[in-house]
Amino acid sequence: MAGTSDPHGSAFSAAELEFLAEDEMIEIVPNLRMDPLNFISGDFGPFRPQIAAQAPLWLAVALKKRGKCTIRAPEWMSVDKLSQVLEAERDSEKFQPLPFHYVEISRLLFDHARDDIPDIYMVRSLIEDIKDVRFHKIGKGLEIISKERTYALRLKNLSAMEANIVRPFVTRALETFYKLGSSDMIQETDHAPNRQPQATNRGPRRQLKDR
Amino acid sequence: MSNYYDIDDILAEEELVPSVFQHAANGVGLFDSSDDTDKVEAGSRAELPFWLVRELYLRQLISIRVPPCFDRESKTREEIAADAAHVDLRSRSQYFYELGCKIALLIGDRTIGPFLLVAFRTRYKDVLVKAHTLTLTTAPKYLTLLTNEETKLYEAGQSSIAAFKKWRMGGPRFQIAPVLGRKRKPT
Repeated sequence: MAGTSDPHGSAFSAAELEFLAEDEMIEIVPNLRMDPLNFISGDFGPFRPQIAAQAPLWLAVALKKRGKCTIRAPEWMSVDKLSQVLEAERDSEKFQPLPFHYVEISRLLFDHARDDIPDIYMVRSLIEDIKDVRFHKIGKGLEIISKERTYALRLKNLSAMEANIVRPFVTRALETFYKLGSSDMIQETDHAPNRQPQATNRGPRRQLKDR
Repeated sequence: MSNYYDIDDILAEEELVPSVFQHAANGVGLFDSSDDTDKVEAGSRAELPFWLVRELYLRQLISIRVPPCFDRESKTREEIAADAAHVDLRSRSQYFYELGCKIALLIGDRTIGPFLLVAFRTRYKDVLVKAHTLTLTTAPKYLTLLTNEETKLYEAGQSSIAAFKKWRMGGPRFQIAPVLGRKRKPT
């Protein structure tokens, strides 16, 4: 589970997340005839020319590279949907629901299936914008850790990549806050060496964004 | 948090703490090397590393004078209260927080804990912002103000952002397994 590529203890590297994202299902329109494929993760197909089928992203990309299919951009990747999300993201304090791997999926599709996505320039810049807005929100949200005693953060609708990027920083910061804010440090200290550890009041959980 | 093998925990205990000998001690002249008698008089002052101070203090052989950066009427406290983010804590003590915790627990000074927490709270915000915005060229100037703990935090934030940017820019998409790089043996 632990990432091998990053010495700073983040659980995954970006490339590993991309690998995980390749298991997401996506709709493809094959132009070849192929019997069902039986994999450990399940059976995919049968594939018939011009008949849409579901396939995992890695299979879709592999077929696409060989020119054997076109990929149908997922519903959330349309200009309409994305502009709605961007609008809502700017207006509201909450994070909008997007696919857990939206950063990785969009990157994979932009790399390998640019001709299959309608309005690719628009879509690409919208996703960039959404990502920037969300990162800004995360940065703002993380400031609240310092205001009160915080032991946990609730990360509703945060995507895999976003969570992964803030993970090393947040865990380290929380650890230090916990150490400095522990009852040993703040309340009455008596230095009897074999004191029973007190059950600490763990305090309420903080939301990353107040809502 | 403190792990037996944690190198930072070990290094933090190397920090010097000013202390006063309560009793005369023979054979330890190196602490107070003013003459050849090879002894330390009662009441003489010396700076000892924390690991030694703890043992001697628990045996009541020495008394601890709180290091200037944690002292109640020190300049550091005033500076932290004024603008914590720009205080050069690294020059005070590289292991400011770790040492502070250890000393506070040892001598039971209840004012040090909240003081450390306030200092870290204010400085945390600054580290947070800087870790996500600063470029590598402007960073070194800022890093000289941070203690060891804060530097680690900063680097944790900085490196994950950098890794993400690198991934997004592309670059080599495939890494060749070291096994595959080898040449086949001519047969």
